[in-house]
Amino acid sequence: MLKTMMQLAKMQFNQYNIYKSNFYLFTLNRIVEVIVYIFVWQAIYSQTGNAGGFTLSQMVTYYILAIAFSSIATWGINETMAHSIRTGQINKELLNPLTYFQYYFGMNLGELAFAVVIGIATFIICAIFWELALPVSFLNFILCIFIIILGIPITFFIQMIVGTIGFYTNSIWGMQIFRKAVIQIFSGIVAPISLFPLWFQELSKFLPFKELIYTPINIWLGQVDYSEILFVIIKQIIWGAVLYIIAKKFFNHAIKNITTNGG
Amino acid sequence: MAIIEVKNLVKTYKIIEKEEGLIGYFKNLVKPKYKEFTAVNNVNFSIEKGELVGYIGENGAGKSTTIKMLTGLLTPTSGNVIVNGIIPNQKRIENNKNIGAVFGQKTQLWWDLPVIESFRLIKKMYKIPENEYRKNLKKFTELLDLEELLEKQVKNLSLGQKMRCEIAATFLHDPKIVYLDEPTIGLDVFVKEKIRKFIKDINREKKTTVILTTHDLKDIEDVCDRIILLDKGQIIYDGEKQKFKDTYGRYVIAELIVNNIKDNIILNNAEILEQNDNKLKIKFSHDETTIVKIMDEISKFCNIEDIHMKEAELEDILKEIYKGVHTNVKNNDATSKNAI
Repeated sequence: MLKTMMQLAKMQFNQYNIYKSNFYLFTLNRIVEVIVYIFVWQAIYSQTGNAGGFTLSQMVTYYILAIAFSSIATWGINETMAHSIRTGQINKELLNPLTYFQYYFGMNLGELAFAVVIGIATFIICAIFWELALPVSFLNFILCIFIIILGIPITFFIQMIVGTIGFYTNSIWGMQIFRKAVIQIFSGIVAPISLFPLWFQELSKFLPFKELIYTPINIWLGQVDYSEILFVIIKQIIWGAVLYIIAKKFFNHAIKNITTNGG
Repeated sequence: MAIIEVKNLVKTYKIIEKEEGLIGYFKNLVKPKYKEFTAVNNVNFSIEKGELVGYIGENGAGKSTTIKMLTGLLTPTSGNVIVNGIIPNQKRIENNKNIGAVFGQKTQLWWDLPVIESFRLIKKMYKIPENEYRKNLKKFTELLDLEELLEKQVKNLSLGQKMRCEIAATFLHDPKIVYLDEPTIGLDVFVKEKIRKFIKDINREKKTTVILTTHDLKDIEDVCDRIILLDKGQIIYDGEKQKFKDTYGRYVIAELIVNNIKDNIILNNAEILEQNDNKLKIKFSHDETTIVKIMDEISKFCNIEDIHMKEAELEDILKEIYKGVHTNVKNNDATSKNAI
């Protein structure tokens, strides 16, 4: 099973990597994003001097990390899945000797591996041009990575839910934009959560998205208590389980529909 | 114990009946009207291990629906399907381990990657032991001439090359049963021949059960021993291919080149299919007359220059059945089934 998933991940990764320009373009894209955000915040800081409890150098670090992590939070296989449903390729995939979720999780890992490569490249290039705050301790660094890894099943199951909508509509493009927008706002890619209104901060405490970007970066910067990290870990595991059940139920329902009505 | 057992299989689809116009559209939204359509109607058959079965019928006869139920992709409306001791739509993953399938143009090969990568994935998915994998790969490479294709990206292959790889991928894990739905569609004669030979070779060596649906009856003629003929969701013939031909194809078609036609040609015991200036196409049965008698008759009307005869092929017989010439097929089948 693990070997199969590694092979699937490798293949999905290579599928991106065959077009070398993919790597350069995505990385360039990320760096441009970083530059834009940093210029905007430099302008704001020159007016106010403080925002959301971050110093300017912390804010620069925040955006470089946020953009580096952003592909991991927003990429996935829902477009591939919707395409497979639309073209009937799904019939072939349902005849594999492993479940649809396992098959797509393998591919999702490959996709994320490519996101990690781009993230690291973005990080290294940015580190050359700007001074970055290093993780406050090695433990914090490990916890930061761990929280990001806990987010992988969560984004995967959301991807599967959005992909499953492809059974009912011809195009999931709109849903995909919506999913991306929700993650971008609630994870803190657009701006640190601490800058948002209080109700928004309260809400995001219970949603699983903050932990894709905002929380790991704050752990990196040493601004989260260990007791809170424990709460976050438990929260993510619960969300993972809930989303798994929803995704599985939804998918099985959709599949049942095509197996009784013939797609 | 049969490897595939199908009993009283029925599949009914519900289709929304579309009404014309804008009002009809809104009516449909609020309260859709359903129409029932029976794609497979009380189908029974059982297939033994190692059989090569041609599953044939016109477009929309219910072939693909049956195959989908056999693979577990569709749930039967009623009736039973047991494949290798398993009910496929209840234990799909379990069933998938024993089967291989080719569905027309849909591929299991990864578009942007070299063919061999997809083979490696199959090796890992089905947990094929290393030596088994090597042995099969070597053999398939020889039989299907894949040597130069394995390292190529799938998108750079021609249709024929792709299908050869696809067939190899399907048999790689030594499946007990293989469903081939239109495996030779759009291919040239050489590739078709290669694929047919491959299927026969593997069947002989590994006792793989093969169920083949195709519109190219040469495939059936070449590969299958048994045919199941489907019409409007019902089986109208199930049995040996040779017997089928003997029963419904006991006639000969002769083409004659003639000149000096004097009169309207009228023949006893033979049917004129085509007639123009100097060509005559006739059909007759060995039971009723002989070629010598017919030539005698024809020579009264004209001079015969040349004659060319051919036995009825599967294709000719099927055309007649679809046209409704052999209306007795259904009844015959019913009686033969009772006899069993």
